[in-house]
Parts: sequence; structure tokens; C-alpha cells
Amino acid sequence: MRIGILANSLPAALKIYDEASGLPGVEVFVLLAPLDSDGGWSEHVARFVAKSGRRKSLRLIVKRAVVRFRKPLQDPDTISRLQELRLDVGLHKSGSIYSSGTIECFRLGILNAHIGLLPKYRGRSVMEWSLVQGDPTGISVFFVDAGIDTGERMVLSETVDVSHCQTIAEAKQYLFDQDARVYRRAIEKLQQNEKPFQRNDGSGKRYYVMSKLFQDVAQKNLAIGNRQSAI
Amino acid sequence: MNKELISTAVARRLNEVRERVNRFDPEDFGDEGFFLTSVKELLLAHPDRISQLTPFSPPAEWIAADTDCLTSLRVLSLHGTRTMPRAPHPSPDDFLNQLKVKSAAREPVFNLLTERYAWPLNFSFAADDEVREYLLMRLMTADRARIESNSAGAVNAEDLLLKLNLISVHASSATDLRFLDALNYYYELLPVNWHPESQHAWLLISWFALYARALNSRV
Repeated sequence: MRIGILANSLPAALKIYDEASGLPGVEVFVLLAPLDSDGGWSEHVARFVAKSGRRKSLRLIVKRAVVRFRKPLQDPDTISRLQELRLDVGLHKSGSIYSSGTIECFRLGILNAHIGLLPKYRGRSVMEWSLVQGDPTGISVFFVDAGIDTGERMVLSETVDVSHCQTIAEAKQYLFDQDARVYRRAIEKLQQNEKPFQRNDGSGKRYYVMSKLFQDVAQKNLAIGNRQSAI
Repeated sequence: MNKELISTAVARRLNEVRERVNRFDPEDFGDEGFFLTSVKELLLAHPDRISQLTPFSPPAEWIAADTDCLTSLRVLSLHGTRTMPRAPHPSPDDFLNQLKVKSAAREPVFNLLTERYAWPLNFSFAADDEVREYLLMRLMTADRARIESNSAGAVNAEDLLLKLNLISVHASSATDLRFLDALNYYYELLPVNWHPESQHAWLLISWFALYARALNSRV
């Protein structure tokens, strides 16, 4: 299975690369494309130099596991080069929203690790909304479409306890940091059976960025969970 | 859901809303200064009256309006709802399409909304669900982004305030907290001293009155 990690910088993709490339029968590439708003490759290189993981990054470049695009993902030149790579699955780790043209470059599609339990929680601040509404927190991995968390094919959805975290920011980061692990699990499931999908049926609601007032409620709910888990 | 935590939070916000309304000067609202005075009286003069701000109920049928949307909003802000006759439900599909087209073209939607929601509680009518979702989405994505990257002046003030009024009407009757939190978000987003450039600047006052009612329904 040929996997492409869609990222805007190499350090961002390293952890996912390490997890995915450890799977048998998997070939992994890091696909680096600038965002529309990027200052171009000079900024990109600066970000690379500034961040940790340079030695690992160099190793990937030497292994020719890194594919750099000069133009954003939706650009026809980039799409043409993506098609030549004949990739099976993309793993989302970029700041991009993907056009259907980009999505179709991947035989099965592009996976996204969403820090909410689908289908109930789509959109923004979903971890906070789960806490406010007394629901479990978790992660869902699904194939994206052009909508906001509306891709119907969901590979996995699992609860992840964040009650050990002290703050909302820490809890959110904890969930984001699970991406390499859940992507690996998703790829394993796809290797076993390429259509193991649960249906993200659109029955949930789209959530939006949360007010400070309710963020405070989420924080307090987290603290209660934190105390309970300590007992 | 931890109702106690939510109740404590909204009670705190209700007090903040009352304080903010108290700081408004009737002279800044011209002929509508009397409306501000009435809202102040409702929210401030008799604290026990706040508990009388009963939540609205979503209409089981589409309601016939006997006046226009703006007059109805003033009445709802101060006096709450009343019994009115039903009317045939106008299809939301064409309306939603028009709303989408105008929104995409950044054209005002004020007249479109006031015409359909001459009786604003119809905004809570179950079959208008997609319209509510669309308005909430615009408010919390495109409008919010424009205000956050520029200023409150970057959006049409009349459109914004009318949307906030309608969302408040719905938030007062809905169990769905997203609508109430959109109001929370805008309360935090809009500058304390913001005075809308609009001939309907009083919609800011009716928004606060209706927001107070929505908050009170969760205390």
C-alpha cells in the first residue's frame, strides 16, 4: 500500500511517517506542498531549519521519501504529479482543505484524524463541546470529502480519555498527538479489509468555535473528571 | 451534561448583559431611546422581573403575523409572546436558495429575513431547521471571520443584528446549546462600545433583551 502524508512541513509529518513506515507492505511518502498563504519555499526552509527533527528529516530526504511541490495541492501541476505517484491513501497533516481533484489522486482517498466522535460531533471545538455536554471525548478517522467532517466512510472512531489532562489546551494537544497512532490503526484496518467502513451518516451537528464562557464550563468539567480519575 | 455548571455560567453572563445594557445612553439611540429605557427597566429596575422572562416555545404551526418583524421584535423583547392564529407554512426551499445566493454575493439579507419572519418565533418552527442551520453557520464562519480579521464594521450591521435577534429568539426555546453559545461568542466578540451604523441601531438593544431571556431559560 502506497501512503502519502500531506503536510506543510517535514517535522510535522515525522511521527506519522515513523508509525506508518513500521507497517509491513507499506511504502510511505511525505508530500510537502505550500499553503496558498505561504511565503514560499524560503519560509518553508526556515521553518524546517528552526524546528526539531532535522536529522530525521534529512534521512527521509536522502531516502527519497519526500516529495516537494512548488505549488499548492489544488494546483493542476501538483495534481498531475500526485497522479503519477499512484498513491492509495493520503494522510491529512496539512492546513489545507482539499479539492475533489486532489482527493481523487488517492485510490481510496485522504484520511483525516478528527478529534471528535463522529457522526455526532462535526466541526470546531468538538472536544470542548463533548465535555460541556457530558459526552465521551475521542477521535474518528474518516475519508474526507469536500464538506466539513462529512466524509461518509469512517475507518475508526474510538473514545480517548482526557481526564488526566489539567487544561483544555493540554487535552486538545493530547488528542492531536494521537494522530500517528490512529492513522497506523486505520491503515492496518484497511490492509485487512479495504472496506471496513462505519458510516458517518450526517446525523450529528456541525459545531463552531466555542465562547470563552462555555470554554470555562468545559474546563471545569475537565477538572471534575480529573478529580474523579484521581480517586 | 453538567447543568449546574452551565447554569452558573449563564447566570454570570446574565448579570454582565444587564450591566452592559445599563451603560447604554438613551440619547445614543435617538427616537428609540424610550425603547432602551423600557429594556433597562425590564432588566434592571426590578431584578425579580428577570425570573418572569419566560422562555419562548417553538410554534407547533406556522403563525400568521399581524405586524412587521421589527415591531414584533420590540414586542417580544419587552413583553414576550402571545397567542396568534396559524397560517400556511411557506416552503423554506426557495427562501433558503435566495438566502444562499444573496449571502454568497455578500448582498444584504435584511429584507429577505424580515419578510419571512414577520412573526420572529416562526424562525423556531421545526420545518425551518435548514434555514436556522444556515444562518448559524454564516454567523459563526463567514461573518465571524470578517469581524475577527477586520472589525465589526466589516459586516452589514443590520444583517448581523437581525441574525442575532432571530438566533436569540430560537436560543430561548431550543435545547441545542450551539445557538445560545453563538450569542455568547458574539457578546464577547463585539466591542463593548460598539454602536452600529444603522437606522435600526436599537436592534442591539432588542438583541440584548432577547439574549437575556435566552440566558435566563438556562439559569
